[in-house]
Amino acid sequence: MMPSRIGNMPLAAENPLGLSWHDSAWIPILNPSNIMDYFSERSNPFFDRTCNNEVVKMQRLSMDQLQNMTGLEYILLHVQDPILYVIRKQLRHSSTQATPLADYYIIAGIVYQAPDLASVLNSRLLSAVHHLQCSFEETMSYSRYHPSKGYWWDFKATKPGLSSFQTTQSAPKEATSTPKEEPSTLFQRQRVDMLLAELVRQFPLPVAQTTSNQINGVTIKTENTTEKGVEKPTEANSVGNITIKQEPVDSNNPENLNGNMPSHIEIKTEIKQENMKPPPEKKHRVI
Amino acid sequence: MDEHTLRYEKIDFLGEGQFATVYKARDVKTDKIVAVKKIKIGSRLEAQDGINRTALREIKLLQELQHINLIGLLDVFGQKSNVSLVFDFMDTDLEILVKDNNIVLTPANVKAYMIMTLKGLEYLHQNWILHRDLKPNNLLINREGILKIGDFGLAKAFGSPTRINTHQVVTRWYRSPELLFGARQYGTGVDMWAIGCILAELLLRVPFLPGESDLDQLSRIFQVFGTPNEEIWPGMKGLTDYVQFKQFPPQQLRHIFSAASDDLIQLLDSLLAIYPPKRCDCTQALQMPYFSNKPAPTVGSKLPMPSNVTKTETDKPSLKRKLLENIDGGSLAKRLQF
Repeated sequence: MMPSRIGNMPLAAENPLGLSWHDSAWIPILNPSNIMDYFSERSNPFFDRTCNNEVVKMQRLSMDQLQNMTGLEYILLHVQDPILYVIRKQLRHSSTQATPLADYYIIAGIVYQAPDLASVLNSRLLSAVHHLQCSFEETMSYSRYHPSKGYWWDFKATKPGLSSFQTTQSAPKEATSTPKEEPSTLFQRQRVDMLLAELVRQFPLPVAQTTSNQINGVTIKTENTTEKGVEKPTEANSVGNITIKQEPVDSNNPENLNGNMPSHIEIKTEIKQENMKPPPEKKHRVI
Repeated sequence: MDEHTLRYEKIDFLGEGQFATVYKARDVKTDKIVAVKKIKIGSRLEAQDGINRTALREIKLLQELQHINLIGLLDVFGQKSNVSLVFDFMDTDLEILVKDNNIVLTPANVKAYMIMTLKGLEYLHQNWILHRDLKPNNLLINREGILKIGDFGLAKAFGSPTRINTHQVVTRWYRSPELLFGARQYGTGVDMWAIGCILAELLLRVPFLPGESDLDQLSRIFQVFGTPNEEIWPGMKGLTDYVQFKQFPPQQLRHIFSAASDDLIQLLDSLLAIYPPKRCDCTQALQMPYFSNKPAPTVGSKLPMPSNVTKTETDKPSLKRKLLENIDGGSLAKRLQF
């Protein structure tokens, strides 16, 4: 899916946030006990093979030894069994102290690096500006001018111009959206829906639903996430929810980025909702 | 003679080998802990030749050698028909460390051991001596974390172009392919190969090439490095014990040593080159990027020790002294009887 991203290709080599990795042979058999083995596959670009995990593994020692070592290590931070795993890369200073360096999430067997807040904000701002620019360009195509009449809007006569604009715009959009469908198969989406439904059933929150509707006025999917965000305040959970949510909603966003900073989730969703409003409308018209 | 037997007080029995018994003892004169290696007399037939050959080798060579990473021969004395050698006391050896599953050998630790081994061996080779029996068991370590190469029972001067050596040297798992093919003229390569095997063992924590026979040893070597041909190893077919082997393709070392950094793989490749002249020597090895790259080698005091050794440091000596005092009334220490 990475190569199809527009304008990201040269960056992807150096920017791990533009990378994803999977091994299709493993995907059907992934479970919490082998997920670390999957992550430590030689071809995984996110895995540094000089880490303590690999040293312990090579020396055929017990993984409990990791606690006594210092240096780079990977831990399984969070599991949401069938579909989501979060792995943390951290620098261990002592048996009790470790500094997190990065988080990786594995959804449906595909490994991504969770971006830092700056990247998320950058990407959101970029997409906001991008969409604003698109709307300006489109608006410009409707404007007409004549020395005697001055300026006026013409929505009928510019149809051909519009369509040409749209094709240029929609072609890359399709390119981004089609491969984004790829990682979540019908089966996986059903599993996610099932999980979400299960969570909603377990934690019904009528109050939150109304408030989120009033404040944000967003789609059902975002409602789910806000609910879940409220109910499961742990970092890992909110990371997971965001990521699950984002794939369908965010299909117009040039960068499929996900936040891992729980305290900023609200800010982020707001930004996104503002951004997101125009694109779906446009999309409807296009399709 | 008597002065010597009085000088060393036996503390503990350390071990028994084929040719000798080793005791831990205290040097009364310097109050240092030492290891006393009492050479066995052996059968009458052996005794006819005079002093045991391995002991003679050790005495002959070690008397002239002085290096921090070589075991120091402190004293030699005889009593009746016995000969005893007094060495630096070493707390443990690499074999014990490798087998201790409570210990993690970090990349920095491995680097520290390799540097000390190579420095000792470099000195040895510079003095035209081959060790010929390098194995983890012979790399001794004291509680300061200093590694010293020990057991010079098979060591020999090399470099004379006409001299024929025996190929029945080096414990099999660490024996180089040219020795296994029966080469009678060889050089530092035999020691370098052993170092490569030891390094591999430090990384894997199991012997790298545990052959069950000499032929199995060769076949294990070729399964990893690929079966050599005349192009890779000119003159191989002329060796005494040469046998044709099944063609094995070479494997990537980085797949076997999954956590090893690239500079370490480079060192391994160089130490374990099939064709002996291609193998690096100690000086070249120490110049390789692995030793100047990060991580820095662990300092001696931070190197791991087996649990029983670290304990001795604090409790055991005092306890032992107390026991001895109780038994012998405080003044009379046990005398070593030779």
